[in-house]
Amino acid sequence: MATQSITTETENPLLEGLGIRRRPEPCVLTIFGASGDLTKRKIFPALYSLALRDLLPEQFAVLGIARTEQNTDDFVHAMEAAVREFGRDDFKQEVWDELARRTRYVPTDFADEEGQNRVARCLTELDEEQGTRGNRVYYLAVPPEAMPKLVEELGERRATTGWTRLIIEKPFGHDGASARALNELLSRRFTEDEVFRIDHYLGKDTVQNLLALRFANGIFEPIWNRQFIDHVQITVAESIGIEGRAGYYENAGAIRDVFQNHLLQLVALTAMEPPIDYTADAIRNEKLKVLKGIATPDPQLVVRGQYGPGFIEGEPAAGYREEPGVAPDSETETFVAARLEVENWRWADTPFIVRTGKRLPRRETTIAIQFKRVPHPLFEDASDLRPNLLVVHIQPNEGVSLAIGAKVPGEGMRVRTVHMDFLYGGAFRMGLPEAYERLILDAMLGDATLFTRADEIEEQWALVDAIVAAWRRDRPSFPNYAAGTWGPRTAEELVEWHR
Amino acid sequence: MASIAHIDEWSDECATVSEIEQALIELRLRRGFEGKRNLRTTMLTHLAWVPQEWQQAATETLAGLAERHPSRTVLLFPEPDANDGVAARVLLECYDVAGRHLCNEVVELRLRGARTRAPASIALPLVLPDLPIFLRWRGRPEFDSPMLSQLLDMVDRLVVDSAEWPDVPGAYVELARLFDRVAVSDIAWRRSLAWRASLARRWPELPHRIAGPPAEAALVAGWLRSRAAAAIAVERAEELPFDERLDPSELLSEQLDVFGRDPIYEAAVSSAGPP
Repeated sequence: MATQSITTETENPLLEGLGIRRRPEPCVLTIFGASGDLTKRKIFPALYSLALRDLLPEQFAVLGIARTEQNTDDFVHAMEAAVREFGRDDFKQEVWDELARRTRYVPTDFADEEGQNRVARCLTELDEEQGTRGNRVYYLAVPPEAMPKLVEELGERRATTGWTRLIIEKPFGHDGASARALNELLSRRFTEDEVFRIDHYLGKDTVQNLLALRFANGIFEPIWNRQFIDHVQITVAESIGIEGRAGYYENAGAIRDVFQNHLLQLVALTAMEPPIDYTADAIRNEKLKVLKGIATPDPQLVVRGQYGPGFIEGEPAAGYREEPGVAPDSETETFVAARLEVENWRWADTPFIVRTGKRLPRRETTIAIQFKRVPHPLFEDASDLRPNLLVVHIQPNEGVSLAIGAKVPGEGMRVRTVHMDFLYGGAFRMGLPEAYERLILDAMLGDATLFTRADEIEEQWALVDAIVAAWRRDRPSFPNYAAGTWGPRTAEELVEWHR
Repeated sequence: MASIAHIDEWSDECATVSEIEQALIELRLRRGFEGKRNLRTTMLTHLAWVPQEWQQAATETLAGLAERHPSRTVLLFPEPDANDGVAARVLLECYDVAGRHLCNEVVELRLRGARTRAPASIALPLVLPDLPIFLRWRGRPEFDSPMLSQLLDMVDRLVVDSAEWPDVPGAYVELARLFDRVAVSDIAWRRSLAWRASLARRWPELPHRIAGPPAEAALVAGWLRSRAAAAIAVERAEELPFDERLDPSELLSEQLDVFGRDPIYEAAVSSAGPP
């Protein structure tokens, strides 16, 4: 079904070298959950940026669907304001007007036949007006409980002409059982190459740069293994709290919100074997092997935490249990750290320390590869000399830095650690595209390389289910870290645990 | 774009290469102890051969380029009628990016008198090791000049703008002779991209006649002839039918991201002239 029918260079000799091959086929992008925050903050700003760069199909339309009662004009005005506020590019009225002209809104929860018929009529009209040929990209930005019914109905009513693709926002299920059930439902109605499960971290240029760092540089891969690497630390830290999302976060916690998806995907990308090529299945096959190779950690090697009151950048910050909508005795974790082992030849006995949390001192996502110390201290005073550390900064200050030992000028042979920095914004002075731009465009093109496959999701949940099952055996003593600190003290001991 | 944080400068009316190198080092170190880390991120050496009549245009282009493409730029201003010598001005332009100063190095060299005749011997010690070297030649090159020949021997890519030439498409015959020697970028070719894209979208429909500025029209006609074996007549017009209106810095900046030969451009150039 997921045919790639953009005109190819063999059919049109003028296309070669023009760099316009990534323009998708005509289609309608239908957003379920169109009145939500994601549409406002991410999806429409991404569509605007794609329109500005002339990357959307020439025949294209957007259909917003949500329960909120409003007409197309109201929706368009709200989205214009959102693009102005959250877009990364300067606002150009003519670009927006063209996108707005192709945008419609239908108020319905899509649960009843009448609402479904209205959506179907609108899509047919758009096909006729815009020439979108029955091609559909459905963006499911809805809560997990609304997903099964929606998938069922979309499968039931899929267009008889053109292709259909589904973009599915996280969270994908609440546990392994619900994720499997959703995958089974999807597989009954759609083929795997029609399903695009979003983990927006994979759309970040700097995450993709990790693959470039590993597989485009001959110097790293030979030492990317247990012989040379002491351990790996992967951190996804946020300084913000739950930002009014208590309803979601109370049920999810840090382990479902970030650990299950972003963190484990970063582990997989860091630890995977070189794929045979840069295609969706080749990469996902290698990531899957890593996910399968992660052993269930001993409960004492998983630290959970919840922030109490503290300070962020000098400002008082409330504790989690004082956040609006949070139960005063909530046992939801806002921090998880774990010492994971990837059980294969490359990584045996090389710990991957992963951590994520809210209300940490600063927002940062990093992958730190710590190499082993030199086997013998050769120089007189090497007390300042730390092991080599390669840090991939995913966000902010995207780049790579390498800590190396250098001689201190002058008498004697004192050696200390200095940093060599590659700053992404310094070498390539262009704005990094938002992850959603890349991912929406890829889904329209049918390229699933940066999306998560069903079996990856299920492996990720299997690990999380095992951790959560162990947590159920005892009650945590929360809160156990102050807002503005790096989490519970016990998390810091995970690195040294085996020594 | 980030705002410029500071520009430091050194100049000498009679400079040696080692003095210029020393000046570059001292300018980099000067700010290093003022709190913010100066970070030199360089992707290439950008050489430019800039005859007198192109100096202002080159300086304006460079002003927009530096921030887009961190590089060491060596501007060679030939002044063959002056007394022998090399006058140098060295600039370190630093920008605030993510709390650090990112710095570009600009070396302006006035090659006077006999020094004009051996530019490679002066430029070669100043290029960054192991990074690509691009030569931007302003105006129409004298294709058989020893200066061009010397500089081509040391660079990875020649960047021209054939719209600056008075004698296209005739001059393309001489340009085509360089293709086996050095990779060539032509800013006029880039300027015609939107035009070519619009023609590609209309495939298999092909025009019999196209109209545009001489260089771009000749290249587009050559491209249609070479890609689609089309018989195309060319008319002169002042404006491009499709123009992205990129400024000169953006146009040059894009060429500095291109590596290797472009066989489609080379075929277009070879087919650009009258049969």
